[in-house]
Amino acid sequence: MKTMRLFPLELRRLLQSRLTWLMMALTVLSPVLGLVLYKPATSTTMLSMYLANPAIAGGTAGAILFGLLTIFELDRACRSRVDILTDAVVSPLTTALTRLLALLAATVLTVGLTMLVWLPISAGLIGAVFTGANYVLAYLLFLGLALPLGVLAAAAAYQFTRRADLSIVLFIAFCALSLTVWAADWQLCWLNPCVWALSDDFSNLRVFRSVAWMRFTWLLALAGVWTISYLCIRQYGKGVFGSLARSVRRLYRPVIALALLACSGTAYAAQPFLDHSNPDLTVMSFYEIPYAEGVTFVHRTAQVFPDTDAGTVTGRASYQFRNTSGQEQSISFGINPGYAISNVKANGADIPFTVSDYQEYNEALLEVTIPAEEEVELTMEYSGFPQESMPTMQGGKELSDEYLCLENSALSPRVMNVMPGEAGYPAEIEITLPENMLAIPFGSSEAEVVAEHEDGTRTWRYEHNGAGGILYAGDYIREDIEAGGMTIEFYYGRKHQAVMEAAQAVDAVKEVVDYCTEHYGSLSFGTGETLKLIQSRVAGGGYATTGASLLDEADFTAANLGNTEKGGGAGEVMIHELVHQWWGLGNMFDTSDPTSPWSAEGLTVYTTYRIVKELYGEDYAREHYVDQWQKAVDDYYLNFYVRNPEYLEMLPEQVQLAISNSLSQVRQYNEMPLKIYKAEQLVGGEEAMDQILHGLFNRELNPMYPYLTYQEFLSACALTEEDLNLG
Amino acid sequence: MGKIFRYECRRLLWNKFFIGLAVVLLLYGALVLHAVTILGVSHTAPFSPWSFGDYLSRMLPLLWIGMLFFLTFYTSPKARRAAVLMDTTPMPPKQYAWVRCAAALTGGVLLSLLCMGEAAVFYGRMFHWYGWGSLLLPALTVLLPALVFALGSGWLLGRLRTWLVYVWMAVPFLLAALPLPEVLSLWNGRFFTAYPLTLGTLDPAFALPAGAAAAQVVLLAVGAALLAAGGSRRKAMR
Repeated sequence: MKTMRLFPLELRRLLQSRLTWLMMALTVLSPVLGLVLYKPATSTTMLSMYLANPAIAGGTAGAILFGLLTIFELDRACRSRVDILTDAVVSPLTTALTRLLALLAATVLTVGLTMLVWLPISAGLIGAVFTGANYVLAYLLFLGLALPLGVLAAAAAYQFTRRADLSIVLFIAFCALSLTVWAADWQLCWLNPCVWALSDDFSNLRVFRSVAWMRFTWLLALAGVWTISYLCIRQYGKGVFGSLARSVRRLYRPVIALALLACSGTAYAAQPFLDHSNPDLTVMSFYEIPYAEGVTFVHRTAQVFPDTDAGTVTGRASYQFRNTSGQEQSISFGINPGYAISNVKANGADIPFTVSDYQEYNEALLEVTIPAEEEVELTMEYSGFPQESMPTMQGGKELSDEYLCLENSALSPRVMNVMPGEAGYPAEIEITLPENMLAIPFGSSEAEVVAEHEDGTRTWRYEHNGAGGILYAGDYIREDIEAGGMTIEFYYGRKHQAVMEAAQAVDAVKEVVDYCTEHYGSLSFGTGETLKLIQSRVAGGGYATTGASLLDEADFTAANLGNTEKGGGAGEVMIHELVHQWWGLGNMFDTSDPTSPWSAEGLTVYTTYRIVKELYGEDYAREHYVDQWQKAVDDYYLNFYVRNPEYLEMLPEQVQLAISNSLSQVRQYNEMPLKIYKAEQLVGGEEAMDQILHGLFNRELNPMYPYLTYQEFLSACALTEEDLNLG
Repeated sequence: MGKIFRYECRRLLWNKFFIGLAVVLLLYGALVLHAVTILGVSHTAPFSPWSFGDYLSRMLPLLWIGMLFFLTFYTSPKARRAAVLMDTTPMPPKQYAWVRCAAALTGGVLLSLLCMGEAAVFYGRMFHWYGWGSLLLPALTVLLPALVFALGSGWLLGRLRTWLVYVWMAVPFLLAALPLPEVLSLWNGRFFTAYPLTLGTLDPAFALPAGAAAAQVVLLAVGAALLAAGGSRRKAMR
């Protein structure tokens, strides 16, 4: 009660201090660091650049500032040598608790102020894809919860050591740990959460949940440590151990401390987000499981029920096998490690099953023994929180009423050691989703609504042929575009509508598909009649399969569409990104060699130039493309490090890498298109170059090395590297 | 006078404020060196006089602020109250003002040397380059007129109104935003990135066009004149 009576007084005193207001003002300003200096979120979505980075930087700086303020405040009485007097009036334990509460209240006030100040700035920077929910959650989790952690850590350090200098060193070392060696460990980086991207167009609940879990774990841990330090507060003139012995006489105090630490340990160990997949990605032991003898696949069905509020999945799967071996057989399935399996039955009878502790490529191994009967119907139920494997790139298993992507074993258990039957691996999948979501099977299948429910959900059904399968669903807008002799189903997030319309996305798709199909040929992954172009949640890249191709949302942000290196305007960058369906996905390129300008970008930029030339005329294309390439290449050849590579070699490896990367960007986006432009003139003009590129695009692939190389390009042009020298 | 000068230097330089300013300056300097200077400007080496001049131009706003902060030691309301006591001492006021200016200039020079020392260490560590002599001319061209002018103008403004010194701190930022003509481009740092490209050769030696040199001489002269005016108007200002 005394603490509650003293709290308003202490808070008022704290808020009268100029240092407190200075720390608060610096914390309010500190998100600016995330715009210019400290950018842990590496993705180029608008929310990553203008929300995640400022909030994380603000949280990091704010926690350090408030930690230092805490030490300064706790040391005030001791520094002024009035601690003997104040301790005689109020118990030092009461004082410590009151000060902690006052400091925590100051952090709440600071977070509120910061959010108010940055609301209009963030909304202005982020533009059309700004939402209040993302803003509030990002600032509360990335910034807001960092400040009390800083206060607790610094207060504990001071209460243990009772020396300001020593506790500052300890606190800074603790912060430095988070910023360096723990930075890649999503559970340990207490100061700077592991966030690589926030999606502009879809929800970010998965990332927010993960950060909230980490903060919650650390809040429990630091509250526990603070409670122990609280027991060590010096009283009655005793030392640390004497005071501890005195404080623990009230048994509930150490019990609370231990309970907090135990809860924190449990939260750390029982995190539901990440699996324990083998980090050695060269090991693929699940693919070495021998096929079950005499067992063939007949059919499978799955009914999947995502809970978009909780982010979990429940489902029922049924498999029909033909077992001609006359013996029991062990069937292996890959399941998402976050799922629990239950109720496994073969022909209606319960059968035993095991789930391995070993995990590989985001799958655990489920083994079921089927009976020695010819026709076997195996059914099972599964449920849980789908886990992912990459702690530094979380968000892939986002599951909300705006977006979900269930891949292979996250959709339903994937058969691994059964030979396909006459019809392959036929499957019928049903999924029940909120009514605003469209179900988009990643492939040639089309999903249709088979039932509408009173709770506002709809059940979608589609057929598929394969042991796995990928399903996208979300709050998408679908535009059907007739182009290149086929129907392009273009799906993009509803929140991105304004940006897509401004970039004339539909026109761009039509122009690119028409142009590229006419000049280079149809996409190999189109079915001939339809092709789905699906804008995915930020994932770090795209991929394609028969009938569908993925576009990463990061390529279509307002910032990227304004990148003049890729095109003269948003519409042209849109064209550039779509051309990557031909040069990038349709024809793959090996990982870029830093010493060579050859990459998917060269042909993509060149093709963009050709399309723009056709659309806006030669003068426009020359001014915005060829002249720009020439200027950038001239600058490149004059660059000091290009002329004096020995100085580049003197630099530390990381600096070398940063400079080389920036130079190689120039080479890929400017030098190579200019070389291709020169090649075009040497081989006899645009028509001849189109024929060469058509031939390269439709060449027979070597399955061992399916990449298009520079040498292949030169050979097709009957030119040598020297012929294309620009110097 | 030597004793008073040493005392004033100690008062200005031996405190948390100077250390904090030096730390901020070094951190910002490291940032500029690692992010901008390391790439070199106008196709020249990172250790060319042009790149070094660009580095100093980027540091100049902080040095300008530091110099004016030193002056706030003499122009603050507290210092004005103490001046009543100082005036009773048997010391020529003009000389006392000069000593104080000299102490402030010493502070500015020390901060500048810190910046230059940091760059020298950077060049040595990164490129094993130690030809510091070639950097002296750009350093003098950029720093000397600007710091003397900061001292002279700040001294005068601080005596008129204390808050004017703080307003004056924003001048380099204002200049950076203004499209100044080429002769004044040393004042916002664009000279070092634009002028070498007009010389038409690779890795040109450091050269100053007559117009820009004249502008710097005028700046230095005006700074010195303001300093002289400020020093001689001591009694009237109180």
